[in-house]
Amino acid sequence: MNSRIQPRMNSSIDSSNDASNDSSSRQTMTTPNVVEVAPSVEPQGLRMRLARNPEWFTVALIVVTCLIVGAINPRFFQFATLFDLLHSATTMSLFALGTLVVLASGGIDVSFTAIAALTMYGITKAVFAWWPDAPFALILVTGALGGVLLGVVNGLLVHRLKAPSLIVTIGTQYLYRGLLLTFIGTTFFMNIPHSMDHFGRIPLFFYHTADGLRAVLPASVLALVATALVTWWLLNRTMMGRGVYAMGGSLAIAERLGYNLRAIHLFVFGYTGMLAGIAGILHVSNNRLANPFDLVGSELDVIAAVILGGARITGGTGTVAGTLLGVVLVTLIKSVLILVGVPSTWQKVIIGAFILLAGTLFALQRKR
Amino acid sequence: MMNQEDQASRPPAQPVPAHSVQPFLQVVGVHKRFTGVHALRGVSLSFERGQIYHLLGENGCGKSTLIKIISGAQPPDEGQLVIEGVAHARLSALEALAAGIETVYQDLSLLPNMSVAENVALTAELATHEGRLARTFDRRVLAATAARALEAVGLPGNAEFQATLIEQLPLATRQLVAIARAIASEAKFVIMDEPTTSLTQKEVDNLIAVLANLRAQGVTVLFVSHKLDECYAIGGEVIVLRDGQKMAQGPIAQFTKAQISELMTGRHLSNERYRESAHAQDVVLDVRGFTRAGQFSDVSFKLHGGEILGVTGLLDSGRNELARALAGVAPAQAGEVLLDGKPIALRTPSDAKRHRIGYVPEDRLNEGLFLDKPIRDNVITAMISSLRDRFGQIDRVRAQALAEQTVKDLQIATPGVDKPVQSLSGGNQQRVLIGRWLAIDPRVLILHGPTVGVDVGSKDIIYRIMQRLSQRGIGIILISDDLPELLQNCDRILMMKKGRVAAEYRADQLGEADLYHALLSEAA
Repeated sequence: MNSRIQPRMNSSIDSSNDASNDSSSRQTMTTPNVVEVAPSVEPQGLRMRLARNPEWFTVALIVVTCLIVGAINPRFFQFATLFDLLHSATTMSLFALGTLVVLASGGIDVSFTAIAALTMYGITKAVFAWWPDAPFALILVTGALGGVLLGVVNGLLVHRLKAPSLIVTIGTQYLYRGLLLTFIGTTFFMNIPHSMDHFGRIPLFFYHTADGLRAVLPASVLALVATALVTWWLLNRTMMGRGVYAMGGSLAIAERLGYNLRAIHLFVFGYTGMLAGIAGILHVSNNRLANPFDLVGSELDVIAAVILGGARITGGTGTVAGTLLGVVLVTLIKSVLILVGVPSTWQKVIIGAFILLAGTLFALQRKR
Repeated sequence: MMNQEDQASRPPAQPVPAHSVQPFLQVVGVHKRFTGVHALRGVSLSFERGQIYHLLGENGCGKSTLIKIISGAQPPDEGQLVIEGVAHARLSALEALAAGIETVYQDLSLLPNMSVAENVALTAELATHEGRLARTFDRRVLAATAARALEAVGLPGNAEFQATLIEQLPLATRQLVAIARAIASEAKFVIMDEPTTSLTQKEVDNLIAVLANLRAQGVTVLFVSHKLDECYAIGGEVIVLRDGQKMAQGPIAQFTKAQISELMTGRHLSNERYRESAHAQDVVLDVRGFTRAGQFSDVSFKLHGGEILGVTGLLDSGRNELARALAGVAPAQAGEVLLDGKPIALRTPSDAKRHRIGYVPEDRLNEGLFLDKPIRDNVITAMISSLRDRFGQIDRVRAQALAEQTVKDLQIATPGVDKPVQSLSGGNQQRVLIGRWLAIDPRVLILHGPTVGVDVGSKDIIYRIMQRLSQRGIGIILISDDLPELLQNCDRILMMKKGRVAAEYRADQLGEADLYHALLSEAA
């Protein structure tokens, strides 16, 4: 037995030594005798590319929707429509970008609307009562901090309890909303602090349409742009962002590779909370109204938008561009159907159909 | 940390003067216990720089536990790890990585949703910065690191391949990516857990070259494999574990295969055969051309009444999948099954039950038992429909009687049949599961790893029960990787390789070493 094996062993060692002596002069030390193995990657067909960049599907849906609506009502194609769209998409975009980060990390958060409602109403009421002249920047920062605080509670619970984030955030959604309605107030008020009211009216750009109306692009759109850029940078250029995707790929593997899951959990939920807090404040200043019953209930719209933007509900994927496209699609459906005379109840039918369509498409791709 | 940097500055490939030779890693008196199992019993090992070690041992000998302790995935209960002279009572995953210990797990631990470059180079980036996440990273450095590491294992280092997602790669390529990650992290100690199971011969040769390379650079490699031929081809030292203890360590060339097999199994004493002369009966089950894509193909065999037929093979041989197909859990896609000469369909588990084919799964906790339910309920589940009275209610008196009979028959140690199954030991739980199928008076009983995680005394009882059942004329298929178990209990043994039946043996004419060689030999 031994005699049969010995020569084989020697020959293998000899050959490896020879090879490394020969090649060390012309190759780096790390690659003396390794043969190139063809990686045999599947060719990138159209379907594969779509699987990698599902946002193209979202683009297609948007184009189709616009063409149909524009054909029925040519007035759709004007800047005023775009301004309206951006205006109404701001709050949802902030929510959606937060949801993107949570989904990418493999979790889900349904409490962000409650966070937004609690911070916006609590802060508006407090400012109005004690410091009606507070500068808008301060109010915004307070909203962001309040959101971080409430979000970090989510993160701690998810990490400590090792509980599914859906369960935890359903719990905190009820909790935050209950606290708001029980202890802070149930009446909505139109008398919002002056600086908030003012910010809501600042135009970034405006022009007069053919019918003499003033089409305004509000300054709050800047928040959308800034948030999108910051979120993109965080996810793609920082180790934390890569950690978010790593955790979304596999919690167990990420831990084994040395990623600090506690830090990632706190970041993910804290960041989502922060965006929710900011979104809440912007929502108040845009609508010039603080309504404690507002926002909660729109979670599914937001999650639907992110899913339509190509993020998988199972985690580990999703892009900022896709998410914004998803928001555009959902906002489009919600706002333009009225323009072509479709009853608004049809919104839900169409969004649902789109989600099923997208879901089927993505599922078929993965199955292959 | 200081010490580590000293070591790094020394050219690793140079032979170091004897007086300053210090092993890279020492494992000192490590113990590890899990509930009820003493997985490691005082293991002490020493790993030199630039050496290849083969960790060998049977399933359950403590290999995986040892790997997890060295890589920081689990802390030892007792003992310590000495890395370059610094003693640690326990390591975190990050500390192990920072010390240069890299593990290529069997599951490869690659993140499927991320790119090749990120999988290869981000771990190193993370470890060199002590796991800090609040920082940016330089993508050019990342790409350069990844390219170097990928080329070192024979993969292309170009941008297109680096951007490929892991989930788009075939398994063999992923294997090399995982090794590239270890190289990118400038590992000083690389653990490879059965890295060759999914590779072709050419890829294995390439891997062996990669190993020689690592070794030349002073990297220590701990190689876990069942394929002895490969271990000899690679060379280096062998470490044999059995029952959580080190049995031997030394240059592999000094051991014959037979010696290694004997050290690993070490059960030459208890070779008593439970099986007595079988009396030939008619064929009860006739399987023809059974196929399930990618798992097993063209499997044919006959099972006689009162016969015990063993089925074995390595993990990727398709034996587990065959068992599940016969039970209707994951049905075959082609081929036919004849029961008593009549063709039957096995599409679902209830098909199998209807034809009185019983299946005792390997994973009894997840697939077999209702742990928090009484023994009685677990015993009667398979035959519950026949216990209904004319109002559709369960006849409690008969159920009770049946359960008590089963407990008595199978010597289940319990104060009463209303106790939950989880109060029983593993061996007794297994008997409850067997008892469930006895209640339907089976024609065929498929026992899948019936003594996994069962103590010696219980094993003995289960073997005796098996023999008694076969005397009643039940055809038994015993699927197991416990070779002595097969030899002690079976009439015939089918050896599966790569989804096919590679050979058939008569159990009474075979030694354990022969069967072990047959199991590990490359020829399919």
